[in-house]
Amino acid sequence: MTELKPICALGGAEPASRRIGALSLREDAGLGLASLALRAGAPAPALGLVLPGPGGWAEGAGLAAFWTGAGQWMLEFPGGAGRDLAAELAGPGLSVTEQTDGFTAFEIQGPAAELVALLEKLVNVDARRFGPGSATRTGFHHMSVFVIRRAPDRLAVLGMRSAAGTIWHALVEAAERQEVPA
Amino acid sequence: MLIPHPLLGLRDAEEFTYLGDASLLDRPDPHAPDAAQQFYEYQHLRDNPAGIHRELWFHEQGDRSWLIVTRNTLTHEILGAELARDAKGAKA
Repeated sequence: MTELKPICALGGAEPASRRIGALSLREDAGLGLASLALRAGAPAPALGLVLPGPGGWAEGAGLAAFWTGAGQWMLEFPGGAGRDLAAELAGPGLSVTEQTDGFTAFEIQGPAAELVALLEKLVNVDARRFGPGSATRTGFHHMSVFVIRRAPDRLAVLGMRSAAGTIWHALVEAAERQEVPA
Repeated sequence: MLIPHPLLGLRDAEEFTYLGDASLLDRPDPHAPDAAQQFYEYQHLRDNPAGIHRELWFHEQGDRSWLIVTRNTLTHEILGAELARDAKGAKA
């Protein structure tokens, strides 16, 4: 029998993590993702959270959601990468697509001031309009990524899984340039 | 250049792709007696104004919405932006 070993998006057996100055960067290999679109006139499903409006991110118990377009959201399930999310969420009036395997998630933690400074270097988004509870899709090194401000001290970047190494390189580079040598 | 997205605020124009004249939303009736002439004009005859122009922009690296951006082609000043689905819906 062939022995198959699961690996993370960056190729390691364990998720990568780095600490650079005041910032810590971490690959989250366990995040389950599914996209949700409401068909015309369909009510929002009971997920235990209110689906956020444009540019918003909301957290519930065991899941979170962010707005990706009119009537469309991405649902996040921490630790849910192994679940069959599309089957769990399927319901009348909903279009649900499994997204876990298409994306890779990077979590960045650090003091709010350092995090905002990093955000301003990473993407051309007005940081004053990007407080906790914000999420947006934007351009990043000619790639499309989702950027989520989960908390004052927590930022997440979700991008194409096949570009995980490129995204990680760009994040590490930006953090290193920002680092003040002790 | 920044485009004032009606939902998301000021966004980098690099996130958008440009389609052209917003008159493309006004597709002629294919059942009209002079449909062939109308489609010829719709497809091939566009105004090319030096000044205020309403045009379609697609927020490709964003929420994938179509916007109608009003732009001055002489100064590149952006005078406003609205969701194409709203503009089209209001007309229907």
